[in-house]
Amino acid sequence: MLEARNLRKAYGDVVAVDGLSFVALPGEIFGLIGPNGAGKTTSIRMAMNIIAPDSGEILVGGHRLTEADKAKVGYLPEERGLYRKAKVEDMLLYLASLKGMAETAARKSIGLWLERFGLGEWKARKIDELSKGMAQKVQFIGTVLHDPELVLFDEPFSGLDPLSQDALLAAMLELRARGATVLFSTHIMEHAEKICEKILLVDKGREVVAGGLAEVKSRYGRNAVQIEFDGDAAFVSGLGFVEGATAYPRWIEVELKPGADPDDLFRAVAGRLRVRRFEVVAPSLHKIFIRLVGGGSGEAENE
Amino acid sequence: MNKTLRIARHEFVMTAANKAFVVITLLGPFIILALSVLPGLLAMNRAGAAESVVALVGGDEAARSALDAALIGAHGSLAEAKDEASARAAVAEGSLDAAIVLGSDWTESASILLYARTGTDVVLYATLERALGEVARAARAKASGVSPELVARLLQTPRLELRRVGGDAESGGEPSEGGEGDRYLGILLAVIAFVMLLYMTVLLYGQLIGRSVLQEKTSKTVEIMLSSVSSRELMAGKILGPGLAGLIQYGFWVVMALAGSSLLGPKLGSSLTSSVITLPNLGWLVVFFICAYFLYASLYAALGAGAEDEQHLSQLAWPMLIFLMLPLMLINFFVMSPDSTVSIVLSFFPLTSPIVMFIRVMVSPPAWWELVICVAILVASIAGAAVLAAKVFRVGILMTGKKRKLGEILRWAAVK
Repeated sequence: MLEARNLRKAYGDVVAVDGLSFVALPGEIFGLIGPNGAGKTTSIRMAMNIIAPDSGEILVGGHRLTEADKAKVGYLPEERGLYRKAKVEDMLLYLASLKGMAETAARKSIGLWLERFGLGEWKARKIDELSKGMAQKVQFIGTVLHDPELVLFDEPFSGLDPLSQDALLAAMLELRARGATVLFSTHIMEHAEKICEKILLVDKGREVVAGGLAEVKSRYGRNAVQIEFDGDAAFVSGLGFVEGATAYPRWIEVELKPGADPDDLFRAVAGRLRVRRFEVVAPSLHKIFIRLVGGGSGEAENE
Repeated sequence: MNKTLRIARHEFVMTAANKAFVVITLLGPFIILALSVLPGLLAMNRAGAAESVVALVGGDEAARSALDAALIGAHGSLAEAKDEASARAAVAEGSLDAAIVLGSDWTESASILLYARTGTDVVLYATLERALGEVARAARAKASGVSPELVARLLQTPRLELRRVGGDAESGGEPSEGGEGDRYLGILLAVIAFVMLLYMTVLLYGQLIGRSVLQEKTSKTVEIMLSSVSSRELMAGKILGPGLAGLIQYGFWVVMALAGSSLLGPKLGSSLTSSVITLPNLGWLVVFFICAYFLYASLYAALGAGAEDEQHLSQLAWPMLIFLMLPLMLINFFVMSPDSTVSIVLSFFPLTSPIVMFIRVMVSPPAWWELVICVAILVASIAGAAVLAAKVFRVGILMTGKKRKLGEILRWAAVK
């Protein structure tokens, strides 16, 4: 269990984390989401006892992280780094040994994980020779191979191809199934949406919204419709009962004004577009994120 | 096995499983010997130097033959010169190394004119002076009606016969083979070789530690390491591992030195170095290496943690390195006056004591209590440096993005 109580940290005049409180429970995936510079990494570093909070506290299993706890914790920092001259297997064996794993068990676990991520043949190669994505997967393995009870991933998906992202997601779900407390930070909402039980959306160090994913969605859930189509859908955002629309090349996500009936929209587009799919949906986390964090973080739009 | 030892083992393997390490271990003593002793030997023996050509202008047959004989012994030859002007020109353009001008009654004059281009070949000049001096003395004696043999006997300086007594260096009161000049030279060369060894290894290992800590920072591995171990364990492991590698290296060298001096010493005939290469001296070499290593490695670890890149690291390290280099620069002084106040003070000051006290041990063994105090000061300093380094390390290892001044880095020791 990971619990933050009124956590606060400032660097000079900049308040990085401003009174955050949250609880991540075992068997749960907790998403710490927010734009870059929101205070996610600072919070995680405080959890790992790498930096000390100015006030408040962050507790692992009810107390401040101790040296003894470290064997049960896995941490993937945002800044990735491995000894470049070390061989993949040796590097992982070293990391495992520092977590107190016996060598035979570690060797076996490393073999399984490397196979799983398609890195079996890279065992004896040097870290130097790996691509960035491969090195990141090796680092992920180093974070989880000792079967930790608490895992903290800081932006685990950045720089990975979709297949690798899915492999990581699957591994995280497995950790959850084994009863681990999993916390990860991301600014990519789709990832949070896929696997999180709970989220904490932070911006400029402050909590914006927190709670179960389903609950957050229904709280901010308004009528939203996705339409897949052929044709020109530019007119949709001009309709009277439409709050706003996000257009993609072949589909559009439309937010209706409160009280509007999706049927009206259906009738309005029926004659003018060639509709392939028309679906009433809960708003994506992405939309909620953009709405709550607002125009202040333009980069979120690009993700 | 605790985490510090695991890190130490990893760092040991990283240090020792390295071609450079193996090469230095095998060839180190020879390289050091070559670097430190050969230049001295070359200057003294003139072997390998180009032949010195000296011209004589004027003078008599006695002077000519004396110079000729002296120059053959000194790896040189006597050339002809027509007159002073041409000899002088030949020296200036480099076809002659030196030219001596003698007047008709030169044996009575107080000085002799010597043209030389460099003016630094003092061994050659001394040879020429000695040869001409003998001729002049003999001529003056003859002119005064005194037998030259009598003059030679009167002017004979009694030779010093050196017998070292007391301390580890006791040579049993037997007169040493070779002259006292050889003997001093032998001790000096052996001391220089040992001191160079100590200096180079401490410097190399110190820099190794500094760079390895810095690398932990620049390769971004430090956060991962800190998620498994404490900063104290990380620093201790990073210092212990290479230290063990260094000890193994020294062990190998000590065995080689002992084997070398017992096998080769008798064959070489003279006991030039045997009074310096002794088991107690080698033991002290290891003791002082360990002390100097841990002291400088701790300081280097702190600086490595505070540095931003390698260039910054060497900037931060130079004030400390002055203390490491000082004994090396003053080595002649320490060997000649090991019991002077400066020598004694510097043999207790922890940043210089490993080398200076080691020189004293080899040249003029200090009292046992001096050694005890010296090592005690070193151990206390190492403990202090380790505490300070651990604090600086803890703060510095996570600091990036700015080149900080040494003062700022040292103030991190005060961060709670």
